[in-house]
Amino acid sequence: MRRALLAALTVAAAAAALVALVAGWQQEHVIRVRATTTTSLYATGLLEFLEEEFKRVRPGVEIDFITVGSGEALRRAAQGDACLVFVHAPSLELAYIRAGVLERGAIFAYNYFVIVGPSDDPAGVRAAASAAEAFRRIYEAGEAGLARFVSRGDNSGTHVRELSIWRAAGLDPRGRPWYVERGAGMAETLVTASEMQAYTLSDIGTYLKLKREGRLHDLEVLYTNSSELINIYSVYLVSSCAGEEREVAEEFMEFVVERQDLIAGYGADEYGQPLFYPARERLDELKRLWWSLAEG
Amino acid sequence: MEALTDIVLRSLWVSGSATLLSSLWSLPLAYAMAVSRRLGLLAPIMEALVGVPTVVVGLVMYMLLSRTGPLGFLNLLYTPYAIIVGEAVLITPVIVSTAYRVIRRSVETYGELARTLGAGPLQAAALVLSQSAPGLAASVVMGFSRAIGELGVAFMVGGNIAGYTRTLTTAIALGVAMGEYELAMQLGLVLIALTLAVSLAVRASKRLWE
Amino acid sequence: MMAMRLLALEDVWYSYDGKRWVLRSATLSVSGGEVVAVVGPNGAGKTTLLKIMGLLYRPQRGRVLVKGVDAWASRAAALRLRRSVVYVHERPIMVRGTVLDNVALGLRLRGLDGAEVRRRVSAVARALGIEGLLDRDARKLSAGQAQLVALARALAVEPDVLLLDEPFANLDEEGREVVADVIRGYSREGRAVVVVSHDRSVLARVATRWVRVRDGRVEAP
Ligand SMILES: Nc1ncnc2c1ncn2[C@@H]1O[C@H](COP(=O)(O)OP(=O)(O)OP(=O)(O)O)[C@@H](O)[C@H]1O
Ligand SMILES: [Mg+2]
Repeated sequence: MRRALLAALTVAAAAAALVALVAGWQQEHVIRVRATTTTSLYATGLLEFLEEEFKRVRPGVEIDFITVGSGEALRRAAQGDACLVFVHAPSLELAYIRAGVLERGAIFAYNYFVIVGPSDDPAGVRAAASAAEAFRRIYEAGEAGLARFVSRGDNSGTHVRELSIWRAAGLDPRGRPWYVERGAGMAETLVTASEMQAYTLSDIGTYLKLKREGRLHDLEVLYTNSSELINIYSVYLVSSCAGEEREVAEEFMEFVVERQDLIAGYGADEYGQPLFYPARERLDELKRLWWSLAEG
Repeated sequence: MEALTDIVLRSLWVSGSATLLSSLWSLPLAYAMAVSRRLGLLAPIMEALVGVPTVVVGLVMYMLLSRTGPLGFLNLLYTPYAIIVGEAVLITPVIVSTAYRVIRRSVETYGELARTLGAGPLQAAALVLSQSAPGLAASVVMGFSRAIGELGVAFMVGGNIAGYTRTLTTAIALGVAMGEYELAMQLGLVLIALTLAVSLAVRASKRLWE
Repeated sequence: MMAMRLLALEDVWYSYDGKRWVLRSATLSVSGGEVVAVVGPNGAGKTTLLKIMGLLYRPQRGRVLVKGVDAWASRAAALRLRRSVVYVHERPIMVRGTVLDNVALGLRLRGLDGAEVRRRVSAVARALGIEGLLDRDARKLSAGQAQLVALARALAVEPDVLLLDEPFANLDEEGREVVADVIRGYSREGRAVVVVSHDRSVLARVATRWVRVRDGRVEAP
């Protein structure tokens, strides 16, 4: 009797699982657009905010954001596993444009990277006249045993930019004992820098978010706002993308570029300053900077 | 981040389906290995495969399921079904090797008993499996625990898409990546509570069976 | 008329590990009406011999004939003939469930209907004096009780040849008497029983013939 009951229960559970499985298959009527993006951009919440706004005018769609490093985001696009790419790594982008992976693109926002470090600033970054000089000072302080630098080390847009600044300064810190390659996302890298009282390069959004949450002790913005540190966000349509997914992807891309007002206001309430600047007013200048970053 | 209950339910659904799916081939394979000397040679290989890092399995599954991969035409990548298939593959070695050990012992005693009484191969299999049911339940639970607690496959082939393929473990990883350690910790506790609850439930039903 | 030759081993060799022969050229035949007593020292190969007679192990060399048919000539033959020879383990094996479930096991495997199963189970249970145990948990029997249940399970399917490995080992005097009676009665119906035991006095009560296993051979005692 008991055994019969148990058998019945098992069968019922299995049946329920199967039904759930089948029901899962059926519920898919929405058009899904696969978009790869970087963790730092995703973490600001901007993309999901734009998606929500977009869905108000275009219901029945889902933008599926897959968050990985910039390099990985582009590589997956090349594999045909994304329809849209949201990235901020011009030199990588150019390579994929030339390879024919990305077709149409648009700069939709920008902000500045920041060099952050301990408030007592042992390397004297505050006094630097350029980002390259700031890095040179960190290098010297590092060699003198006064400072450390934490690098993302993950081939992300931020990491690529950091390396290009070292190149601009004519230095190669890799392998030095004070140069820590973390191999992690921006938030983890910032927390590491805070724990180690070290310098690092960060996007402004992630820094402000963690700072506000009290996760970063004694880690301050020491240098920013030079054209060397400009952070340009672009969106691309992937060539291999087709069908209704492509149609919606094109609509979403257009929406992001058109609704610059949404971008300009985003985050101001929460962080006391906007996280992104709309690209439209400075588009020509941004394009010029983008090319110099892409080829530099 | 989306509601916790959604993530929890999705994790249970995905890992539960993966476990059922995997059991469909893992248990018959374990039985075949237990009765056939030649297939029994697979046992050490299966045991070695238990330790394969989940990201490696995730990477292999990704390459298979990618649009440009050999199984790309299935359009499974970045869906929960990709995670289900991937996790089903991932937990195959755990289920097979633990179930093999259980069935092996059972075959030696109950398989032989069945044969003394003139049972055919299918009847012998039925007796062996019914006698080892509690042990097999335990091995399936181990498979489930590994599925629900793994990150590599869910991340690589699921993509951690909010409201669609985000599971407990990928949510934890995202929490850590975004510096939201408290959230990550809470999700971790939920995960532990879930696996504990499932294993206790199975234990209770085992007692009922005895 | 000569009694029918039910089971025969012809020049049988068997090794568990491929290195050491446990049986070497064992030859033995059993006819209807016989109770063959098998003796021999520990480790001589008696259990192995019985399991080969029960078609559980396939000898590397030699033939096993059941009612004149080569049992290992085909898989189908082995499967079919296994139903006429039943081996009972030295250490009884009980499946999960009640004593009744265990005694009925072979009958259910044969797909007999419920009424027939009940009839045969109560008949063997009565013969062995275990009617009172039928509702008990089979995993919680004493050693002697379990041995009687295992014997009942084998008797219930009414094989032509019954192969008993140490059936008296855990039994009290009364139990031995009961089992000895059952063995004698069973052989009188034209079937055969082969009994392995170290207890010569109880064997003497049932045996119609004696053989001895030594160095992997079957010899006259
Ligand atoms: N499964 C096995 N694998 C390997 N060797 C075995 C196995 N079973 C038995 N043997 C060996 O085969 C030989 C014969 O064993 P068997 O069990 O037939 O002896 P036996 O005559 O029944 O002894 P006993 O009187 O102690 O029951 C022994 O040397 C034993 O060690
Ligand atoms: Mg023995």
